[in-house]
Order: sequence, then structure tokens, then C-alpha cells
Amino acid sequence: MNLLELQSLLPQLILALGATAVLMGGAWLENRRFWLLCGMLLALVAALCAALYEPPLLEVAGMYSTSLYARFCTVVWSLTIAATLLISCRYADLHCFGGGEYAALLLFAAAGMSLLSAASSFVGLFIGLEAFTLVLYILIAFNRTDNRGAEAGLKYLVFGAVATGFLAFGIALIYTATGSFHFAEALAGLQLDGGLRPLGLAGWAMLLVAIGFKISLVPFHLWTPDVYQGAPAPISGVMATAAKGAVLTAFLPLLAGLGDAAGEIKSVLWLLAILTMLGGTFAALPQTNLKRMLAYSSVAHMGYMLVALLIGGEVGGQALLFYLVVYSLATFGAFGVITSWALADEEIQEYAEIRGLGYLHPRRSSALAAFLFSLAGIPPLAGFFGKFGIFHAALRSGYTELAVIGVLTSLISLYYYLRPIIVLFMQDRSAYQLRSGCREEFILLGSCFAAILLFGVYPGPLLELVALVLP
Amino acid sequence: MATWMFYILGAITVVATLLAITQRNPVHAVIYLVNSFFALALLFFLLGAPLVAAWEVIIYAGAIMVLFLFIIMMLEIAPGVEADRYGPNWLQWLPILLLAAALGICTLLLTGLDPVGSNGVPHWYASPRDFGYALFKEYALAIEVVSFQLLFAAVGAFYVGRPERKSKSPAGGDR
Repeated sequence: MNLLELQSLLPQLILALGATAVLMGGAWLENRRFWLLCGMLLALVAALCAALYEPPLLEVAGMYSTSLYARFCTVVWSLTIAATLLISCRYADLHCFGGGEYAALLLFAAAGMSLLSAASSFVGLFIGLEAFTLVLYILIAFNRTDNRGAEAGLKYLVFGAVATGFLAFGIALIYTATGSFHFAEALAGLQLDGGLRPLGLAGWAMLLVAIGFKISLVPFHLWTPDVYQGAPAPISGVMATAAKGAVLTAFLPLLAGLGDAAGEIKSVLWLLAILTMLGGTFAALPQTNLKRMLAYSSVAHMGYMLVALLIGGEVGGQALLFYLVVYSLATFGAFGVITSWALADEEIQEYAEIRGLGYLHPRRSSALAAFLFSLAGIPPLAGFFGKFGIFHAALRSGYTELAVIGVLTSLISLYYYLRPIIVLFMQDRSAYQLRSGCREEFILLGSCFAAILLFGVYPGPLLELVALVLP
Repeated sequence: MATWMFYILGAITVVATLLAITQRNPVHAVIYLVNSFFALALLFFLLGAPLVAAWEVIIYAGAIMVLFLFIIMMLEIAPGVEADRYGPNWLQWLPILLLAAALGICTLLLTGLDPVGSNGVPHWYASPRDFGYALFKEYALAIEVVSFQLLFAAVGAFYVGRPERKSKSPAGGDR
């Protein structure tokens, strides 16, 4: 490690060292709100630094790239974590979270995610992925009085450990076949007569299992609803957005690196995409719990993003990144509303508990309705453009069947997105008055709402930015 | 010779691990796991990484498995010994005895192997110096990230495992 390398990793250093500083400070000064806001500030500084500071090296230690793409991802994950810390301000007070620990763990999760997205070798990929999953295991069980949180954490830990085993084995097989961890050499070395070498194929199969678990594609998605339901709402928000997004953004250059040899992998992904879109949608239909519904909806959305991944190239990558940002805004906002409605001992998430809540808390209910509309893809909101981009690209690249299934599942999804909205604004009320929102929550929900509205009416700048950063 | 040894040791590892995960008695499972770790250590030695082999024995077979045994004893999850029989149950002991004997023979054969191979290169080409260089020079960044990770793992384990304190500021933001 020399000075230039350290300079190139400046945003990640700010996040990781900031996390340790907050952790140490938290031991001396017990002021929850101060440390959460301090962590938020650090995450914002890291995002600013990643956006503006030109790193002197293109690649650090042969493991992490500092390309525009990696910097873009760092900005997005840092902002997500900053938003999480902001929305957690009152939630953490309500549940007596250790402020220093909570902020430090989230900051380190941001560092892990940005390292994962920046990975340019399998070692970097593995370490980045483990860095933030490990933190998530803890954060899921962070609410110590809640047994469901502990159960969810344990569930995620056991499944996650198995997935890690698959990932390590897959990487080992790829290394055996090529003798290199670095993406460029390893992926080129796997190719044989326009296909993949058998060892490489076995390695990739294992990689797909691990990735499928992390982003909950359909045969590997069973943990998703239970974990999202048990985890604290802000953490569910992070898991549904940044944690999955980081894996997807690391997967994009990996698949692109295979080039023409990806035929076999793509046929598997094709099947997974169909299964995920259908499975997520149909499983979401009978849900009567907001968090479980959002969990299955995130599964279905992963299917759409998988379609964009399959299309590949500039068109697919652009559609994927745009969709990822838009989906993250809406999903995070929805979990933000649940966070804001939380009581000291439980979270309001059953449909029976929110019946008629729209008349008591009109602002937050309308925000939730807007986020769900965006997820469903109703035109004035950004979700529509995201879906339009993916399906349009799929039709143009010859994936007609995927586009048709996508459109059909989007139509079906209207049912489960509209249902909670109707319940919210029902006349016969069974919900009772909750706390009014605090300033931090309104700032965050307001900006999420403004963003999905803005990107819906005026998506040009974001599309241009996304096209600019693609490798 | 080395190829044969590899297959034998590989078979021992797989069989011992399979037995470890199918045993109902946790102590037996631990013993099989120790056996599997020893076979793995010999495999590493065969591949020319004596340092990793030593660590496999010291850390995994030694420290971690002893920890496992402590936990099993503390939680008293091992079934008790049947009182109505004298001496060991030979049928139960047979697999582990066979595996251990095979391991012992392999170890003896390995020590008999000429340290300098046919092409003049020593078998243990990954000396501790090479190993340390790779670990702390080539993968220094990875080590840094992993150490951060371990720090936060420790903090998290401490936080989640700490008994519930009487909260000083119950629901401070109750507005």
C-alpha cells in the first residue's frame, strides 16, 4: 500500500475510518441522535468525495477499480446509507439502539458495498460482499427485545453462510481453471472454442447460486419475506435496495467480461428471470402484510433487472442502472414510511392495522401511495420510465418472451400495489392515531417523493449520467 | 506417488467430513472433523505449503475443535454413556480407527518423501517467507478490509449478545 493507492480509495477510507471513529466516539459520548447525524455527514462527505475527487490510479492493488462506474456506485450507496441514518433518527430512539454502534455498522456496510461494486478481482469481490453481509447479519438482529429480529438474523446468517460457501467454491474452481483472480485474465482464460471450459462452467454455476441467494432470485428467495419482516424497517430498506444493488452492479461487469462465451450462463439467467418475475409476482398477491408484500415485490423487481442484465451492452446496462436507482428510491421510501409509523414495541405492517390510516396521516399515506404507484409503474412517476426502458430494450434485443412476461407480471402487480392503497383510504377505520412524523423523516420522504416525481417527468439527466458512467 | 497420496488423502477428507455431518453424537462428529482437518493439512503439505498445513493443525484441529468440545461440554448436549456395557463399542470405533490409521500411514510416507523432487525444486516451494510476502504485500488491502470486518463482527457480537440494560432514555424522541 502506498500513498497513491490510499488516495485512490479515499471515499472508502472515509467510510471505514469514519465508522471506527464513530464507534470509538460512541463509547464516550452517549448521544444517539448526534452519532446518527455524524454518520450521515460522513456518508455524505464520502459521496461528495467519490463524485468530485479524481483518483490518481485506475486500479488499486489489482483488486478494486476506481472507474467512473465504481465511483457512481459509491455515491449511490453512500447516499442510501446517509438516508438510512437520517430516517433511523427517531426509530433508534424509540427502540433504544446503541447510536455509535448503529451508525458505525451502517457506515462500514457502505464501505463494503462500494468495494463490492468496485471489485475488479474475485478476491475483492468476495471480501467486499462478505464485509457488508456480515454487518447486515448484526443489523437485522439489532433490536434486542424483538425475538423475530433475532430469528430473522439467524435465518439470514445460516442461508448466507451456505451461499458464501458456494461463492468461495465457485471462485476456487474458476481460479483452478485459469490461475488468476483478476477479472480480465480469469474471464478470458475460461473461454474455450467460443464456450466456457467445464471447470469454469462449474465455477460459474456456483457463483450463480451465491448471487441468486444474495439478490433473492426465485429458487433461492425463500428467506426474503421472513427476514424483511423480522428486521428493523430501515434495515429492510437497505437490504432491499443497496445490498441487492451492490451485488447486481458487481455482476454486470462480470457478465460483460465473459463476452460471447456467456451463452450457457445466459440461458440459465433467462430461465431464472422468468421464474423470478412470475414467482415474485404470484407470491406477492395473497400477502396481507406490507413488509412481506414489499419483500416479494423486490423479488419480482429483481427479475426485471435480470432481464436488463441479460440484454447487456450499453442499452441493457443503462436500463439496469436507471431502473436500480428508481426502484431503490421507491422501495426505500416505502420502508421509510413504515419506519416512521413504527411504535415502540412493534411496527405497523398488517393491512388490518393501516385500514383508514390515510385520513389520520394524509401526508405519509400519500407518500406511501406514490411510492407504491411508482413500483407498479404508473406513468407520471419514475417507475414507469424504468420499466419502459427495460421492456423496450428487451424487445429491441430479441428477448420478446421476457418482455411479454414482464409486461404481464407488471399488470398483475397492480393488484397487490393498489390493495394497500385502497386499504389506507378506506372509510371504515380500524387504525388509530400514530405519532406525527419528525422533521428528519419528512425531509427524507419528501426528497424521495420529489426524486421519483422529477425522474418521472424529466428522466433525461439521470439517463445521461448513467450512460456516461457505464464501463 | 504424490498423486496417489493426494487421492487417498482426498478420500479420507471426504469420508471423514461425511461421517462428521451424519453423526448424531456431537463429540463423535467433532472427532471426525478433526480427522478431516488433519487430512486437509497433509494435502496442503503435499501441495507445498507447509506453513498452511501447520496452521490447519494448530488453529483448526487444535484451537477451534477444542472450543467446540468445550461448548458441547458446557451445554451438555452429548448423550451420556450407556452404563450396561464394559469397554468400548468396537463397531462404533472402527471407522475412526481406520481413518486415523490411514492418516498415520500417509504421514509416515510423507516424511519419507524426498524433499527435493526430480526436477531439483524442493517440495515445499511456498516457504513462510513467500507466504508472508503474498499475504502482506500482494493482498495487503484484502487483509486490511478483513481486519475491519473482524472488528465489526466482534462489536456486533458484543452488542447483540449483551444482556438488556435498563434503558437510560426510554423513547426519548416520543413526540
